[in-house]
Amino acid sequence: MRPAELWRHSSFRLALGVTVFILTTLMLASGFGYGLLHAQLTGRQDARVTEIFAALDQTSQAGDETDLIEAITTRINASPDHATVYLLRNPDGQILAGNINAISLPAGWSTLSAEKIGIATDYPYRVFVGKAGRYDLTVGLSNADLDDLQEIVLNAFVWAALIALIATLSLGAFLAMRVQRRLSQAEDAMMRVAHGDLTARLPVTGRGDDLDRISTAINASLARLSGLVEAMRQVSADVAHELRTPLNRLRIRIETAAEKAATGISVEAELAAAIKESDTINQTFSALLRIAQIEGGVRRDHFAPLDLALVMSNLAEIYTDVAEDAGMELSCLADTPALVFGDKELLTQAFANLIENAIRHCPQGTRIVCQVATVQGQVTASVADNGLGIPMQERELVLRRLYRLEKSRTTQGSGLGLSLVKAVADLHGAKLTLSDAEPGLVVRLVLPTV
Amino acid sequence: MRILLIEDDRSAAEYVARGFSENGHVCDVLDDGTDGLFQATRESYDVLVVDRMIPGLDGLSMVRALRAAGRKVPVLFLTALGGIDDRVEGLEAGGDDYLTKPFAFAELLARVNALARRPVMQDVKTTLRIADLELDLMRRQATRAGQTIDLLPKEFTLLEVLMRNEGRVVTRTMLLERVWDFHFDPKTSVVETHISRLRAKIDKPFEVALLHTVKNMGYSIHAPR
Repeated sequence: MRPAELWRHSSFRLALGVTVFILTTLMLASGFGYGLLHAQLTGRQDARVTEIFAALDQTSQAGDETDLIEAITTRINASPDHATVYLLRNPDGQILAGNINAISLPAGWSTLSAEKIGIATDYPYRVFVGKAGRYDLTVGLSNADLDDLQEIVLNAFVWAALIALIATLSLGAFLAMRVQRRLSQAEDAMMRVAHGDLTARLPVTGRGDDLDRISTAINASLARLSGLVEAMRQVSADVAHELRTPLNRLRIRIETAAEKAATGISVEAELAAAIKESDTINQTFSALLRIAQIEGGVRRDHFAPLDLALVMSNLAEIYTDVAEDAGMELSCLADTPALVFGDKELLTQAFANLIENAIRHCPQGTRIVCQVATVQGQVTASVADNGLGIPMQERELVLRRLYRLEKSRTTQGSGLGLSLVKAVADLHGAKLTLSDAEPGLVVRLVLPTV
Repeated sequence: MRILLIEDDRSAAEYVARGFSENGHVCDVLDDGTDGLFQATRESYDVLVVDRMIPGLDGLSMVRALRAAGRKVPVLFLTALGGIDDRVEGLEAGGDDYLTKPFAFAELLARVNALARRPVMQDVKTTLRIADLELDLMRRQATRAGQTIDLLPKEFTLLEVLMRNEGRVVTRTMLLERVWDFHFDPKTSVVETHISRLRAKIDKPFEVALLHTVKNMGYSIHAPR
């Protein structure tokens, strides 16, 4: 990764921001600490000056001039490097003792440079000028300690800053590169998706971090999306295939009719057949559109509480005679009301489809049982038959649009009946299962009660 | 009967209008909702057939405006294939019936006939009578030639719908909607089965049949002619 490129990564910029923040904090903290120490040391220095001054003042009052001069000379000798400075003058302004000769210093406290008091050290001095008895006494202490302190604090700050800078910058670069590697992988994956490859997935490390969670969520949407696209592709292909046959038959009928009409033969039968073919096409189209609309969820606006047991028993009443005419027996166990929230029209059609499937695809003598029961807040509505059933491996497939068990497609049917049931179940958030009724098929719809 | 057809598909409109006039009706055709509203408020029609998707004012808005103006003329909506909310919306806007395109002309004719002769005032008759067949709506009882006929609730409704349309054809889809509240096309012989059960009760035991199958159209109940 080139440095210019590094700058473009948000994680690196974040690390840089953190570095600036840490440095600022460090600077403020050092400044504050320095200020505190400085005030403390200045206080002590002043106290020391006051102490020396008071001692000398006492000497001047207890003894004579010689004692005072001697006391000062002793002190000067003990501090040969001008750490402490003294100047004693009599009331006439004559210098009696001292290691400086600055005579025009202001009275009271002041901080003065070495040059100002006429000596050649590097430090400024804290100076007090006052009266010790009859004498003018000047006492000063060098700021050497304070200057040393300043240097120590500055040094400490510079080193700490340098270490923090290097540490955070390398951490930032490391994180940037690590995150960048994953983001680049994600970017590549999304570019592949953008170019139409819906099988591309974002990498998931398994660490469960935020990137993992986002990647997992994006992967889930991609899976759903590719499922939908696949379904759509499947439907378009199925529609094309499904309609080719009836459209072709329709064309043949009309052609035959045209030929017959040209030779004066009655075309009534051909036209009736043509109408039937066009009706079949319409029904397939209509059913596909209806399923698409149900899947789109438009009907959810019409949801209302309804008694599913009543819906089922009404259907059973309608179909009992139809089943009887087909040589079957239909019974219904739905006596207790089972309130659910849903679309009555669609649920009616869904269960009618299930009952009709049983009537149309089962042999004579089949028993069909419709049932609605509420157990622990869940309403289970089922249609069971003891007919041929559906092989295990095809139970998922029959829910697909246009899928039919008989590959020859000789029997009537659009292959859309169960897809509609599935769409209605999904719209209601219901669980749809097809299972073995031993023998036969039982289709169950489980949805929450109101 | 005077019918106003508002439909912008010219060839379909022509075909339907010709069908109506061949059946002895007068049919005016317009292809725009605004013109349709103007014409329907100015002239008096027995039935309006309105396509939902028309230029100018759309069908729903047109009928809403018509109802707001206090016009009670029966309206049949023509809706596009697969629009599952169209029926509810149409009825809410003030429509009386709906038909999904593409449709058989016979179906449209039967529905228009049923609409036109629907009494504007609520029917206060409590007994329907055709020849010697009587339907007591209060006691929910059917009798023919003085004999009580036991009917299941749905059979009673089926007979009631047929008798209210005495002498007119009631199509298979009309029966599915009105008797069983089915708004889809069942794949089994629901209508045929129940008609045959009803026939076995009201016609078979008697000499003269009242309930007739009209080929390719539906069913009709009427006194012997």
